[in-house]
Amino acid sequence: MSKRYVGLLILIVLAVMIPLQAHATTPKATVETAVNGLLKILASSDFKAKTKDEKIAIISEQIEPFFDFKALSRRTLGREWKKMSGEQQTEFVGLFKKLLQGVYADRLLAYSDQKVLFEKEIILKKGRAEVQSYLQTSDGKKIPLFYRLSNKTGSWKVYDVIIEGVSMVKNYRTQFRQILSKDSPDKLLEILRKKVGQS
Amino acid sequence: MGRNSVKMALYLGAMAAFLVIFCSHGFAAEINNEPIELPGLLLAQQTQVSADKQTETPKDEVLDQEKRNEDEDEFDDEDEFDDEDEYDDEGPEEDLISDPLIWMNRGIYHFNDKMYFWVLKPVARGYGYVVPEELRLAIRNMFYNVRFPVRFVNCLLQGKVRKSGSEFGQFFINTTVGFLGMQNVAANYPKLQPSKEDLGQTFAVWGIGNGPFLMLPFFGPSSIRDGLGRLGDTFLDPLWWYFDDLWVSLGIRAGETVNETSTRIGEYEALKEAAIDPYIMLRNAYVQNRNKLIAE
Repeated sequence: MSKRYVGLLILIVLAVMIPLQAHATTPKATVETAVNGLLKILASSDFKAKTKDEKIAIISEQIEPFFDFKALSRRTLGREWKKMSGEQQTEFVGLFKKLLQGVYADRLLAYSDQKVLFEKEIILKKGRAEVQSYLQTSDGKKIPLFYRLSNKTGSWKVYDVIIEGVSMVKNYRTQFRQILSKDSPDKLLEILRKKVGQS
Repeated sequence: MGRNSVKMALYLGAMAAFLVIFCSHGFAAEINNEPIELPGLLLAQQTQVSADKQTETPKDEVLDQEKRNEDEDEFDDEDEFDDEDEYDDEGPEEDLISDPLIWMNRGIYHFNDKMYFWVLKPVARGYGYVVPEELRLAIRNMFYNVRFPVRFVNCLLQGKVRKSGSEFGQFFINTTVGFLGMQNVAANYPKLQPSKEDLGQTFAVWGIGNGPFLMLPFFGPSSIRDGLGRLGDTFLDPLWWYFDDLWVSLGIRAGETVNETSTRIGEYEALKEAAIDPYIMLRNAYVQNRNKLIAE
């Protein structure tokens, strides 16, 4: 095959791939893939036989690529973020990530028998989007569970989860600010270390 | 009817308590503390009053407050994250509530927490062992159904005629086909699933702010506005007025709480486990959740 055709072939392959990829990476598709993947794992008998700690570890590993924990930490700390040193920031991201993964895994295990519905995505300003999903309980009630995503690096990543109108970022922000209004960032890290260690 | 006068006296007592708290923090100052989105005139009026207000509130009393001007230059020199102002766009007031009574509130929170773990949870657990879940859910649905007047009237007070229609449809179907509200048949129709309205939300729609945060014993997080709303709503609550005897009414309330709790054991524990400071977590979650309900 001559070189000309190779070039053409690559072009065709690219042309076919681009729309596919664009389709696969809408915010809604991203969340759907992540959540459905998780639910599939949760339903497997292999998973059910594991201990709780192992379960949490598996769920944490699964959600890791879908969350932007650094952005999440920055938003949560707001202006306090800049008052921290680089080391403190890194440690904070790590601890907060561990805390949130634990909380998320715990809730997921509690609600695993409920149906998840994906309704719509809303594109917000500056490369951000909201994916609206609902947990349907056995008696027909729908609990709104919205994901906020941003697209900075070419893939959509979650930076906030809003349950029944309560933004996780905002909720933790008031808690952290309460501590930081009286104590140093070191104290906050110490509290977090204790919190993560115990749970 | 003599018994009802006892209830009346209870009301007056509770009203007086609210007024005392209210007045001690300045009626005019607190009532417009938290402006919410309102169309037209009300909004203009509202923001003006709240602008006056801002300077009046002692800074240490407003714990969740985020001063807009501070937040605006928050991420000026960051190019990597240029979208951090997002939550400003949505309104910086969102998680703003004053909490001048924080020490009392924290005390009451502590009391509620102990009440839950020491009394309510064990009782609800025992009840849950005896009564099958289907029946407990049916009882919960019946309580919801019978409070229809509260939600319906508040829809109308807010001018939400369409929603009041949904409420009526839900009530009608669940009372008839759903056998006195035991089954939530209306859940099959998305339009017949209106979000709950109450008097606190009605006050908010009328332009009244939260006022100070208030942790109520037994009932949990609230605000002066929503607490008064709660009080007002019992006037429309058939279960409260149907029985003359105060103790019967209170007994029904307690029974309802046990039944409700038995269906959601573990929720509060999980919230508390996730929190760094459970009191602050609850306070903020309450306001965020209420703001969503008010907007609906």
